Amino acid sequence: MRISFERTGGFAGISKIKTIDTASLPPNEASLLPTLVEAADFFNLPENIPSSAPGGDRFQYTVTVEDNGQQHTVTVSEGALPGQLRPLIEWLKHK
Amino acid sequence: MAQKKIKFKCKHPLRRCPICCIVPPHMLENVAVSGSPEQREWAFHTLNLSAQFRGRRNTVGDITFMPQPGEKNRTIYDAGGNEQLPGKLVRSEGDPPGTDEAVNEAYDGAGATYDLFYEVFERNSIDDKGLRLNSTVHYGEKYDNAFWNGSQMVYGDGDGDLFQRFTKSIDVIGHELTHGVTQHEAGLIYFGESGAINESMSDVFGSLVKQKVKNQTADQADWVIGEGLFTSKVKGVGIRSMKAPGTAYDDEVLGKDPQPAHMKDIYTGTKDNGGVHINSGIPNHAFYLAAMDIGGYAWEKAGNIWYIALRDRLRSKANFKKAAEITIKVAGELHGEASNEQKAVQNAWQKVGVV
Repeated sequence: MRISFERTGGFAGISKIKTIDTASLPPNEASLLPTLVEAADFFNLPENIPSSAPGGDRFQYTVTVEDNGQQHTVTVSEGALPGQLRPLIEWLKHK
Repeated sequence: MAQKKIKFKCKHPLRRCPICCIVPPHMLENVAVSGSPEQREWAFHTLNLSAQFRGRRNTVGDITFMPQPGEKNRTIYDAGGNEQLPGKLVRSEGDPPGTDEAVNEAYDGAGATYDLFYEVFERNSIDDKGLRLNSTVHYGEKYDNAFWNGSQMVYGDGDGDLFQRFTKSIDVIGHELTHGVTQHEAGLIYFGESGAINESMSDVFGSLVKQKVKNQTADQADWVIGEGLFTSKVKGVGIRSMKAPGTAYDDEVLGKDPQPAHMKDIYTGTKDNGGVHINSGIPNHAFYLAAMDIGGYAWEKAGNIWYIALRDRLRSKANFKKAAEITIKVAGELHGEASNEQKAVQNAWQKVGVV
């Protein structure tokens, strides 16, 4: 499984991108990542999850997961993170 | 003082809540603590509104509690490294400064922003009705951001490696508070060109707060947004430059400032809500050019033209062209057709390739 994680926006508007491949992760993390993706029901999430609340300078996250020939990209506002997706985003943020 | 009377808690199982409140305050408070981020924002916003309403009720019969125009009403909360808003109340209006720099900066910066809007544009707070200014500091862990969540300002401490605390720069505070003003006025949609105008308005008035505090004329100002936010490790003067968009930083780790100064370089991708913090360079530079051409204190003429456009003329879907047309028109109304001021605004938008 390969994941690309990009953070854009925020007050500074400075983008950060990282790519993670389970093949190069230690075994415990390599098995955790697919669990987080599954818990998020990632492949069934809409491509775009914008925030309906007014505001400014929140981060925007774009996550692409590639697994077994499947690929899906979700762009989500920090202010609209669905609870199911939060553990995956938190993990990626700290990776 | 009024804010002492305004409390979030509406203790009533037996007494009716004065404004009522389809969702009882205790439930809202629960949601404010344990809900999802959006639920929490909504709950906080609602509690805040009810507190204001109750504040107004409290004023009936005792007019001295009514916040007078020009009277600031600030509260600072401490999130203590968590992401729960608003956090613990640490300073209210009139309380003396404490030992926490972030608290003091958030308090003073909100005050300076209130003063600019009140003294120069005769605006009484974010909503022009004396809305209390709520800020939370120490939000999140090594959080590299400051934001406006629709009802309050929120500041992170920065990671300490690249970014310092976000209250360090007074224009950041002015920037966040201006998002509140924009929300109550033009309501510029936070995507694409309207979003970049929204961002630019925050930079313009954020910069004017700093210029007013430093008593600088347009040519004395540095026109840098977020000066002092970077640690000494980063090669850069700040986050954005209104004078020379695209030149604020050029760093091995952070990359290069991506802001365009001209329409020919406009960003058309979807990142950052369609480049709201990228393309704001274009209207930012137009404001800078107009203010420099007019001369003197930038808030007096250029600032006023932009403020009136934001308050009375711009619609939520405005694009750069519309913003240009409107500010040129407002300049003509205020200073006369073909006046130097109108020509300055017209030339500014021409130089950045919008008209």
